[in-house]
Amino acid sequence: MEFIQGLLGEQAGLVVWTLLKIVAIVAPMMLAVAYLTLAERKVIGYMQLRIGPNRVGPYGLLQPIADGVKLLLKEIILPAKSNKALFIIGPILSIAPALAAWAVVPFTDTLVLANIDASLLYIMAVTSMGVYGVIIAGWAANSKYSFLGAMRSAAQIVSYEIAMGFALVTVLMVSGSLNLVEIVNQQGRGMGGGSILSWNLIPLFPMFIVYLIAGVAETNRAPFDVAEGESEIVAGFHVEYSGMAFAVFFLAEYANMILIAALTSLMFLGGWLSPFPASWGLLGASGFIWLALKISLVLFCFLWFRATFPRYRYDQIMRLGWKVFIPVTLVWVVVVGAWMMSPLSLWQ
Amino acid sequence: MSFPLIVFYVLSAILLFSAFKVVTAKNPVHAALWLVLAFFTSSGHWLLLQAEFLAIALVLVYVGAVMVLFLFVVMMLDINIEKMRAGFWQHFPLAATVGLIMVAEMVLILASPQAHLAGYEAAAPLAADASNVKVLGLQIYTTYLMPFELAAVLLLLAIVAAIALTQRERKDGKYVDPAMQVEVKAADRLSIVKMAAVRDEPVINETNEPQA
Amino acid sequence: MLQNYFPILLFVIVGLMVGVGPIVLGKLVSPNRPDPEKLSPYECGFEAFEDTRMRFDVRYYLVAILFILFDLEIAFLFPWAVVLKEIGMFGFGAMLVFLAILTIGFIYEWKKGALEWE
Repeated sequence: MEFIQGLLGEQAGLVVWTLLKIVAIVAPMMLAVAYLTLAERKVIGYMQLRIGPNRVGPYGLLQPIADGVKLLLKEIILPAKSNKALFIIGPILSIAPALAAWAVVPFTDTLVLANIDASLLYIMAVTSMGVYGVIIAGWAANSKYSFLGAMRSAAQIVSYEIAMGFALVTVLMVSGSLNLVEIVNQQGRGMGGGSILSWNLIPLFPMFIVYLIAGVAETNRAPFDVAEGESEIVAGFHVEYSGMAFAVFFLAEYANMILIAALTSLMFLGGWLSPFPASWGLLGASGFIWLALKISLVLFCFLWFRATFPRYRYDQIMRLGWKVFIPVTLVWVVVVGAWMMSPLSLWQ
Repeated sequence: MSFPLIVFYVLSAILLFSAFKVVTAKNPVHAALWLVLAFFTSSGHWLLLQAEFLAIALVLVYVGAVMVLFLFVVMMLDINIEKMRAGFWQHFPLAATVGLIMVAEMVLILASPQAHLAGYEAAAPLAADASNVKVLGLQIYTTYLMPFELAAVLLLLAIVAAIALTQRERKDGKYVDPAMQVEVKAADRLSIVKMAAVRDEPVINETNEPQA
Repeated sequence: MLQNYFPILLFVIVGLMVGVGPIVLGKLVSPNRPDPEKLSPYECGFEAFEDTRMRFDVRYYLVAILFILFDLEIAFLFPWAVVLKEIGMFGFGAMLVFLAILTIGFIYEWKKGALEWE
């Protein structure tokens, strides 16, 4: 850092250094997104007794690159009666929040780009803006299917955001901080001494389940993908999109999936902490590798859900969000509060 | 000029421009989106004042929730915008005059010696790990308990009002409660009847009439 | 505190660029051969029957309004959750009253059928 600052002056050096750090987060992110699409097709393929893509490169490993090049060379169609400017802004507004949230995600206890105090609140606020991409895209395209898809999707996203918010509140209660680094560190202090026993996963298990399912619904993934519902509204809000404009939506969806997986790992699965006690030497050491493994595990669950569950009906989705998750989370907030007030509290 | 000051002026320029577009945009959806931008930029202003929690809560509540409702409304009601905007430019001079008078009044008050604006010191920069949320939390639930509970009553009122305004029963709905559907057991739908494996005696038709 | 937000500002700009970049690149590289059929909205091969921006079920507004209210409730819960260990029993009681009042609203919603979709 000093080297760059010496080269460019203090101010410009800081900007360039920060930009380099951002690229170091975004570039691997994009690569992860690309290979998540391949992993999805492979995993679902094997679950359905197929082998998935295997033609481009060894084991189909170059498939995401081929897909990217194909999408790049396809025409970007602007529908005749659409609102041209908003039509293009739609995908941009859906990827920008999905990426901007990563600014505060810690990768280890010291490796974090912007260690702000209210990082969890920031993530909630930024991700709540993702719904604009969907609404604007659906409205701008001037197609009935995309409008229907956008409205469904928007109502679904906001409904599950409440349950997600309540689930987050319980995490905040036990850790006493909005800072993600602090939330993970607190999970290392419990009675299990940093092993799996002290993670939030166990005392907050119902909230973990609610958060995970709400996360699937927030990202419009199967079995909650009525917003796309290819059998009834063809592809929902992005039916009129083609080429790179479509690809950006795709990137945003997968970047959001990885974000939800990362947050689940940080808040409930102990982040970079090892599942084994610290006394186990190398196995018990914490590190980024554990976080990566946990994120992959949650992502695998996302793919697994898609391969196994039939799609929910829309009224069932809304019922699950409002009539099951919100009461459950409300009650659990009170239960955790009472637990913390009682002498049996695990979080002194 | 320090960096925060530059940011302040840039944000202010964006804020004023987007606020102007909110009133002049032809399309109501565009106007709503400009309003989103205006809220977003003003949260940047709050952040410059180091009100971290309030800034993010502004984005969370106004941008993330209130404006979604606004967009729903302007997108889904066929508002005839031409009719509503008729006479906009005709009344513009009057509106502009009123606005200018208000600005002048505010300047007069704030610039007067009684306002003591120069007497206020700029807020000291907070430490990097200072927690806005904690300070706020320690105040709201103890010192300002009553307003906090009143907020709950207000929210309750809003819930009741929203439902009273929008709720109506549909007569033609073919609605089935999903809760009932979920609770259905196989036994409710399918009953297996045990029958003896015997064949009936053939009936001999004596009149020889053709059977239906 | 503000210096912590500087990387976020940059990150938001980079995030926007990641959206703009591919689309601009796609525009430059990809062919552009519009024709009326291609540009018409997709409606399973039919001509569009009526204007897309139709009136919608009032239920969507209701969901949006209720979402605002619950979102506010969560905004109140956040600082409370962070300081719960410090304010102890008194703070817990304060929130119990708050939640109780709002639970009345929630039960009202439920009983009125505002949460049903048909």
